[in-house]
Amino acid sequence: MSHEAVLHGDAHGHDDHGHHEHHDTFLTKYVFSQDHKMIAKQFLITGMVWAVLGGLMSVLFRLQLGYPDSTFPFLEDLLGKWGKGGRITPEAYYALVTTHGTVLVFFVLTAGLSGTFANFLIPLQVGARDMASPFMNMLSYWFFFAASIVMLSSMFVETGPFSGGWTAYPPLSALGDASPGSKTGMDLWIISMALFVVSSLLGGLNYIATILNMRTKGMSMTRLPLTIWALFFTAVLGVLSFPVLFSGFILLIFDRNFGTSFYLSDIFVNGVGALPNEGGSAILYQHLFWFLGHPEVYIILLPAMGMVSEILSINSRKPIFGYMAMIGSLFAIAILAFLVWAHHMFVTGLNPFLGSVFVLLTLLIAVPSAIKVFNWLTTLWRGNIRFTPAMLFAIGFVSLFISGGLTGIWLGNSALDIHLHDTYFVIAHFHIVMGVASMFGMFAGIYHWFPKMYGKQLNNTLGYIHFWVTIAGAYLIFWPMHYEGLAGMPRRYYDFSIWESFKQFGELNKFISLVSMIVFMVQLLFLFNFFYSIFKGRKLTNQNPWDATTLEWTAPINPGHGNWVGEIPEVHRWPYDYGKDGVDFIAQTTPVGADESQH
Amino acid sequence: MSTATVETTKSWGGGKSPFNVEYGKLMMWYFLMSDAFTFGAFLISYGTIRFSTNGWPDPNEVFRSFPFAPEGVHAPLVFVSVMTFILIVSSVTMVLAVKAGHEMDKKSVVKYMIWTIIGGIAFLSCQAWEWNHLHHEGAWWGRNPFLNADGTASSTNFTNYFFTITGFHGFHVFSGVIINIIMLIMTLMDKFEQRGHYLMIEKAGLYWHFVDLVWVFVFTCFYLV
Amino acid sequence: MSHTAQHEENHGNGEVKKVTIILSVLTIVELILGFWMIGITSEALRLAIKGTIIILMMAKAFYIVAYFMHLKHELKNLIMTIVVPLGLFIWFIIAFLYDGNSFRNLRNTYDPYFKERSTIKVEKKAEGHGGGHEAGASHAAADTTAHAKDTVSVENKH
Repeated sequence: MSHEAVLHGDAHGHDDHGHHEHHDTFLTKYVFSQDHKMIAKQFLITGMVWAVLGGLMSVLFRLQLGYPDSTFPFLEDLLGKWGKGGRITPEAYYALVTTHGTVLVFFVLTAGLSGTFANFLIPLQVGARDMASPFMNMLSYWFFFAASIVMLSSMFVETGPFSGGWTAYPPLSALGDASPGSKTGMDLWIISMALFVVSSLLGGLNYIATILNMRTKGMSMTRLPLTIWALFFTAVLGVLSFPVLFSGFILLIFDRNFGTSFYLSDIFVNGVGALPNEGGSAILYQHLFWFLGHPEVYIILLPAMGMVSEILSINSRKPIFGYMAMIGSLFAIAILAFLVWAHHMFVTGLNPFLGSVFVLLTLLIAVPSAIKVFNWLTTLWRGNIRFTPAMLFAIGFVSLFISGGLTGIWLGNSALDIHLHDTYFVIAHFHIVMGVASMFGMFAGIYHWFPKMYGKQLNNTLGYIHFWVTIAGAYLIFWPMHYEGLAGMPRRYYDFSIWESFKQFGELNKFISLVSMIVFMVQLLFLFNFFYSIFKGRKLTNQNPWDATTLEWTAPINPGHGNWVGEIPEVHRWPYDYGKDGVDFIAQTTPVGADESQH
Repeated sequence: MSTATVETTKSWGGGKSPFNVEYGKLMMWYFLMSDAFTFGAFLISYGTIRFSTNGWPDPNEVFRSFPFAPEGVHAPLVFVSVMTFILIVSSVTMVLAVKAGHEMDKKSVVKYMIWTIIGGIAFLSCQAWEWNHLHHEGAWWGRNPFLNADGTASSTNFTNYFFTITGFHGFHVFSGVIINIIMLIMTLMDKFEQRGHYLMIEKAGLYWHFVDLVWVFVFTCFYLV
Repeated sequence: MSHTAQHEENHGNGEVKKVTIILSVLTIVELILGFWMIGITSEALRLAIKGTIIILMMAKAFYIVAYFMHLKHELKNLIMTIVVPLGLFIWFIIAFLYDGNSFRNLRNTYDPYFKERSTIKVEKKAEGHGGGHEAGASHAAADTTAHAKDTVSVENKH
């Protein structure tokens, strides 16, 4: 192998044969595939399975919150002893809440979102045959798969899955006797998360190396689509923050199993010290957790931002407004993500002065976020907008990001946070800005790149129904929660009906639960659309169905392993030449003409 | 100045690595950066707990033994300085192995790799001896027989952190030795001669130096300050 | 191989030798400072020495990364992508240690048990460590109840 080949990675080794399906068996093509496109689909479908499970969990605990006095016999059939007498037991309720959070945050919106789209889009959009190391890429998926299996199995142990909240604060996570779920359930939870950290590390290193090293000729960093920039910063965030969580978990394992007291300060029962060892600090765990936890929020959000930028520009038939400002604000968000973690801890015993520094740093995030929002709006401004389902979801993302982001400014103030912390206000805030918004980004991405993934079209009518019900439902579910939170209704409570002051919200809770069920049903409609279209969808006839400029649409309709037949195309311009000089769009591969105007 | 700008645009222009390094080395660097955050988190947690505790044992009172010492003779810092020098020397032999690899000098690569592996094993043996010795004194995870410098009872977090962090570092040394042995075997099998380059040795070298680098911090945090 | 061959010339064995010597000298200085510190009781001076040791530690780290890990001879872009993210450690360290310190003050002010525990002197156990586990158990008996209970329970496990 020549030195050049060494410099450019393994994947370039098979330059001479773009397709080599002849020696692919079922196992190497669909299961242990090293093709980035297949790995992306594996991530996507595993993520979908988890999204359905996680969504179902939320429907179940919404049932308890909305109808605390009613019994539903089917719950006993479904959950066994956890649903005795047709009512979810308190232990099961906490287990559901915890698993819902863990699964949605890590498995769906981290692995399912950036795992899918980083794998799928990075090689295709930068112009590479595959990831830098396809083998490590495959390992990344299988570590995620192992994490999934372990997490799933924790739901079937006798004492139930972990039930101390997705943040797994000690002592609930450190003491095996703290709650039923703190025993085997917690052990499995922590093993699963450790496997997940390995998976995201393997993936992240690959994404970074691919974006830096394997861009095609002419694809300079400032000609990269914003999706790639966003995925790049996502990978950097993951590589730098997950190891801190990993360390925190190792210390937690020692606290659980080897008699240490890293996180256990002291607990007294009837005046007698209840812990064998003491002298640690539970706040330390929270620091370590949120040092990951806050970047994690942006790991979830940035890929969605990148895809939305791309989709807004394509479907407005206008260049993205402020390309460099978009990159700069991504960079600023990535840096600030590491500096603001303790705003999750204002009332847990954090030093108040330190808290005020964190307030300042937190509010700084508003600046790059506002830059992004205004750039999206100005991209739409006087555009020739095509309301495809992908575009609707992208616009929905912007709307949700604004609504959820504004409440972030409230929560970022430590003084207001004394009242608002751990109430439904927080639930509303992060579900809108991080949960549902990223979900919208993911849906936008799926609707937009489905033709590239499977060579088929999704059904548009079902897409429109999906969008309108989901956006209405998202606001109907989470908007009222702001009022509940302002009234002081705390999160993670099993039953509010016994408090006089929260009785007024009984009907509202019922309404929220009802809407959440409808929204869940509509997601099933989307899944039907997705799987039906893979097999029976309208076949794609046009290589470039959206008239987009980026490289992935220059590849064949169903690209084989290696993506392009023959040479990898060379890039001559940035990816946002829409409506330039009266031309609808100019692909990145088109050389710059002599009399072309500057952009 | 203008040539420099041209150089930069060219190196970032795509079609080649902007840093003129292969992807494996790039990944190794970023993996080490990530691992630096793992160790950083450990050491910073250690610092945090130390800052939030009244009193802490004096390392010179704790780490004052060395093998074959006569009864009653205490020499703080002596044994750990030996360990530190072992690791520095093995790092130097690794540098020489990498250099020999660049010069395609198989014989020197083999020689220096063997020395590096010996250094690694020597370090691990020292650590095993020290752990064993401390264990005999009654120290372990969750057990701390040592007193604070001011004579008050000490928190078990002193030993908890010591064993966790040196253990995690020792695990890295151990995996480094395994990697180096694999590299040695691959060299002996002429794998790198066939490939025409010894870049794998270079990546193993980066990992090995990182282990040495971490020891610099562990050594300072636990034994000196 | 042109790039590799090119910078092979400007740092031969001489550089390795030089860096080895520098690292050894720095370590020896650190050890001397460490020994010196044993007899010193003045808190301010101890702090100053500790500060010096940490600066020396950073210098050692620099030499290992720059020369042994070869970073100094890489392109500037690569250096930047590796060094700049490490800047995140600054705030990481400051915030964590500051809050750790604050947690101690908090407990010393509002947690009498915590404060009291840290003032109880334990008589120094006999010199020499022939006793092994027994040494640990005997000193624990003089300790606070909570501590004693834990040691006993640990002993029972064995």
